[in-house]
Amino acid sequence: MLEPVMFTGGLYKHDLVIELVEDLGGYILQKNVTQTEIILLILIPSEDKPVLEALVSELRGELVRAPLAGTEVAVVTPTLAIHHLPHTACDIAEYLRRHGSKTNMLGLARGVGREIAQINEYETAFINEHDAAVFIFGNFQDCIRKKEGLYRNIGVPVVVTGGPQIAAADLPYAFDYVPSIGRVAHRSRKATEIGALDSIVESVGRALDRTREAIAKDPLTTSPPRVMDAVREQVPDVEYSYSPLPIALNLTGVRVKLPYDAYKEAVAAVTFDEGLKLGEIATILPSRMKDYILVRILPTSETGFVF
Amino acid sequence: MDPMEVFKIEVTGSEDFGAKKYREIIMDILQDLGVIRSIGRLYVYVDISKPLFAVYGLLRTGIPALTVRDVGDVMQVSGGYQVKINDEEHMSDLLRALWEHYGRERVEQPARDIVIIASDTTPAEIMVTDLEAEFLQDMTDALVRVAPEGFRNRRNEMNKDSFFFIAAEEGLSPEVVSEVRAKIREMENA
Repeated sequence: MLEPVMFTGGLYKHDLVIELVEDLGGYILQKNVTQTEIILLILIPSEDKPVLEALVSELRGELVRAPLAGTEVAVVTPTLAIHHLPHTACDIAEYLRRHGSKTNMLGLARGVGREIAQINEYETAFINEHDAAVFIFGNFQDCIRKKEGLYRNIGVPVVVTGGPQIAAADLPYAFDYVPSIGRVAHRSRKATEIGALDSIVESVGRALDRTREAIAKDPLTTSPPRVMDAVREQVPDVEYSYSPLPIALNLTGVRVKLPYDAYKEAVAAVTFDEGLKLGEIATILPSRMKDYILVRILPTSETGFVF
Repeated sequence: MDPMEVFKIEVTGSEDFGAKKYREIIMDILQDLGVIRSIGRLYVYVDISKPLFAVYGLLRTGIPALTVRDVGDVMQVSGGYQVKINDEEHMSDLLRALWEHYGRERVEQPARDIVIIASDTTPAEIMVTDLEAEFLQDMTDALVRVAPEGFRNRRNEMNKDSFFFIAAEEGLSPEVVSEVRAKIREMENA
């Protein structure tokens, strides 16, 4: 089984880590260089983790488990106005990132108010492209209950956050409800506030585990990291994408950050060692995010094999 | 400790958490914008069933306008007057006020913090900026930030010693406004 970990350390000799991961059959999901520091998100076979740990301690780096690595989470606020940003929304998004997830922040066009809150088809479809969503609401129970309409039609698990204590059972369309993190006008710094952020990560982790279990019942034809590696190798233009993460991983596929019309054939033609083309084992769709390409790997029940 | 003499917040229904949290939010925002010291009493009334949000506040005594004498040292020099500014924050306002009063050709700035005016009359009493107008602007900004976001129908009455702000999702009828005023008067007298 592949285990998601995050390496933080100096830039010097970090290529040894990359080489080792590749030799062990793992994958580098993301590479962030910040001046002399580097952060690598890695998938590594669990049985080989001690080897990597030994190398990392030799390089004086740090290796921690990143339970959300390889997933994309949407952090949704009613709008992008000062009432929700920067404190609550950015704190949550940043905290999810620290645990390895690729987080996208989304402000709804008309999500404000209690009676007038709305979500449109495009926003719903866009949130559905993610693996889970976190909806950030305010401090009044009544509003949190009434704003259920915003996430009722969303297919991915939704974690709702707000200020007051509400039983999760009172919000039947939400996967979970995390209290004590409603609207605030300062950064999260108290232990209770950080604790609430931890509960969100834990909740999102559980939501993703549920999706993983569902996928395990009808496994994907191949794993998303393998598709990512193949696309990166055979569509070299992806390295010239201006996006910090040119290929984003989902639990059921990848998002390739290249224009759909110009590159859909190239992505579909990506060939695996077994001789199969990506177009045969996955659906290539236009993504709602800009004009990117969304690759959804087909399950075994549709292709009849796993490799 | 509250910097205000009175700070009451009342929320209808069982929204104690909301009331407590909004107290914190209001304090944070008023502090961020530096207007908290000028507010003496503050009454907040939230009716979540309507829903509407109202704030009534009494302001502390008026702030005098800032004159040239307040922002720098005025000296008589050969050919006119010299102003040496102490706080550069007010430089742009000072120049604008002097240009308006004397005309650009008579105002010269030989150094970053010095302005020389070719005139026989002292500029000491010219008003540089109206701090009260600035304060009222900041106060309006603070109230808009404090109110829950979807409450787009707003009414703001401000004068020298008090302000009354009401925001709601639905339209604001005169009946609703007078009802809220009565509620706030009750809070004042309680």
